[in-house]
Order: sequence, then structure tokens, then C-alpha cells
Amino acid sequence: MTIVEVQDLVKRYPSFELKNVSFSLESGRIAGFIGRNGAGKTTTIKSMLNMIHTDGGNVSYFGKSLKGNEAEIKKRIGYSTGTVSWYPRKRIRDIVDTVKRFYDSWDEAVYRKYLSYFSIDENKTPLELSEGMKVKVNLMLALSHRAEVLILDEPTSGLDPFSRNELLDVFSGLRNEGVSVFFSTHIISDIEKCADDIIYISGGEIRGALPKAEFVKRFSQGKESLEDTIVRLERSALNA
Amino acid sequence: MRNVLRKEMFLSASVLTYLFVLFAFMFLLPGYPILCGAFFVSLGLFQGFQSAREANDIVFSALLPIAKKDVVKGKYLFVCMIEGLAVLLMALSVVLRMTVFSNLAVYRNNALMNANLFALGMACVIFGLFNWVFLGGFFKTAYKFARPFVLFVIAAFLVIFVSEALHHVPGLKVLNAFGTESLMIQILLLSSGIIIFFLMTVLSYKGACKSFERIDL
Repeated sequence: MTIVEVQDLVKRYPSFELKNVSFSLESGRIAGFIGRNGAGKTTTIKSMLNMIHTDGGNVSYFGKSLKGNEAEIKKRIGYSTGTVSWYPRKRIRDIVDTVKRFYDSWDEAVYRKYLSYFSIDENKTPLELSEGMKVKVNLMLALSHRAEVLILDEPTSGLDPFSRNELLDVFSGLRNEGVSVFFSTHIISDIEKCADDIIYISGGEIRGALPKAEFVKRFSQGKESLEDTIVRLERSALNA
Repeated sequence: MRNVLRKEMFLSASVLTYLFVLFAFMFLLPGYPILCGAFFVSLGLFQGFQSAREANDIVFSALLPIAKKDVVKGKYLFVCMIEGLAVLLMALSVVLRMTVFSNLAVYRNNALMNANLFALGMACVIFGLFNWVFLGGFFKTAYKFARPFVLFVIAAFLVIFVSEALHHVPGLKVLNAFGTESLMIQILLLSSGIIIFFLMTVLSYKGACKSFERIDL
């Protein structure tokens, strides 16, 4: 079942343009959003969260347009924006205490579970955390209100290989519970490990949005890995 | 909205914002431009915006499950709450100076304005200016606050200078009424100040909602 629909998103900056970006996300599937730095991943994600004013297009969740239903939709989705830290001198406990009041579906047991799983000390402040731990705190916030869709911008960046594996396991567990996970990354091995679908963006345009097997069938040559395929596609786009 | 206001109070606000509310008691200082109290309360609010920007507060708020305009509403409500608290403390000072202290020589022999209902009304005008010039200006970008604050400082000190000196203009002595003298005029002046505050705040809020919807975070 389609639960997120991105249609013809356009965003024009003086030196960059998001060109009619369209794709959809299905429930109970993990979609990897891949592209090199500056390809438009973060701009797309920000558009999906109404953080930037787009020049065209529409984003809908659960059949409802984000415009006009923002508060209702945001209660049902979880999002994390990488290593950005909020309120660096406030304790995690105090930040969580404020955030959880916004969600009717906040699950204290799930929060405690991830607190322990990610080994987060809630008495610490973001200032005392490493970049990787900040990512984990953001993820914990996104996971603790039983979101039906997770939108994660570079969630594995800054994480050590063990934590990355843990996180990919969390994604797989969530998929089994019917949660849809959409995460951007430039670490192609993460996509190879757990993604069901691949959405590939280059130069502000979606070059492919397909199930992983079909993506490989369409774009890979011979026995090249997914990473080799993406690198080759990027090189040819650069030379074009 | 209660949750948004709670977030403003416990996460976004600076301790200085709360401490600077006490500058409202400058209304009790003799021989001092008492309207500077309203400016210092605004300065405390400005400090809060500085620390909130360092904490990525606006982006954090925009990611919460609320409409974008509620981020703006939360800021305006918090600012109005602090201003309201300051006006209450100023009103308390004014009541003291209109009653038990009304005949104190230290207040009577004062070249500057008396702390009366007109002064309270002008404090409301200064707060209205803060909301209109600073808050409205801030939400045009949601991160640049130097220019709107400098503009507010200029506007606020012009109002302070004019208000403090106005009663020396022939025919305007009534503005410096002591005790319950010219009470009806005093009440009218206070009401005018409150109306100006609301007009400036509402107009600024509407503009800020539109600006905030258009900007990229």
C-alpha cells in the first residue's frame, strides 16, 4: 500500500534545481535514497517535511496532502536530520520530556527500549555527545512515538560500523512491523544490506525509483556491485 | 498550543529573559527615565532569541508535529506572556506611586516623566514596537535578528525620549499627572497604549506567519 507520494517536486535555487522529483513509498518496505553530496537528497527530504517552500509539486501521506494536514501527518511520521544537535546545553531527559507531550502515541516502553539499546545516558546534554550519539538521540526520538513512516536524513553518517549494523537491524525489525523506512545515504553498502527499494537522485533529478532487484537489472552491467553501478552512473552523468 | 508554550518556556527561553522582567521595577526609580525598564525587558527577550538560535530552536520547532504557523504563534505567545508579566509589575509600581508614594518629594521633584497610567500605556507601545519591528523582522528570515533589533532600539529610544519630555510641552502637563489627578484622561491614555500594542502585535503576527511559510529552513 502506498503511504507516501511525492509528486513533481520543484525547488529552484540560484545554483541548483530540484526537477520534478516524484516517487512513492510503500508500507512495510525500506527505501534507500541514494545520491552524491549535493544531488538533492536533503532538499527533497526538507520538502517532504515542509521545511522549505517548494516552487511546485505535492507531498501526500496516508492519502492526505501535507499542506493543510501538517500537524496530523507529522504525528504519524518520525524523522531525523542526521547529526544536527538541538539545545546543546539541555539534558536529553528535559528535551524528551518536552517532545513527548506533542505525541498522543508516545510509547514510554519503546523509548526506554531504545535508550538502553543505543546506550544513551539521558542525563547528558547534546554537547557531551559524539556526532554518532547525536544521530542515535534523534533516531530514538523518531522511533518512540510509534511512527508509521520514518524519514531519515543520513542516519548512518558518523556511526561506527557496529552501530550502523545495529541501526540497519532496527530498520529490518521495523519493516517487519509494517513501518515504512525512507533513509538517505551516500554509503551504498547500507542500501545493499537492507533496502527493498532504491531511489537514486542525481543533479536534482530522480534517475531511478525501483525495487532493488529491478534497479540492479536495469542499471548494473555484468557482475558489478551496486556501488560500482552508482559510481559509473555518476561518472557518465559528469561526462555527459 | 499549551505544549508549544511549554517548549518556549523550558527549552527555548534564556534565564536572562526571566531575570530581565525585574527591570519592570525601574518604574519605582526616582529621577530615571522609567520607560527604559520596558526596553530592558525587551533586551531580555532578545537574549532569549540569541540563545534559541544557537540551539537550532526554530528548525527543531518546525519539525514538531504542529503547523508551521504554530511555531510563530508559540514565539508570539511567549513574548506576550513576558511582556504581560512586565506590565503587571509596572502596574504594581504605578499603583504604589499613584497612592502611598504620590506625595514623596523624590518623585514630585522629577524632571522626567512620572510613573502613571500614561507611562504604563507608553510601556505597552514599546512592547508593541518590539513585537512589530523585532519579531516581525526576525521572522522574515528566522535567523537574522541584528537589523530588526537595531531598528527596534532606534524606535524604542525615540519613543522613550519623546514620552519622557512630552509633559514639558505647554498644554501637555496632564501627561505627568500625580496620584489620581486627571484619572479619566490617564485611563484613556493607558487604553490607547494597550490598543496600539494589540494592533502592532496582531499585524506583526499575521505578517510573520506569511513570511515564515515562505522561507526555507
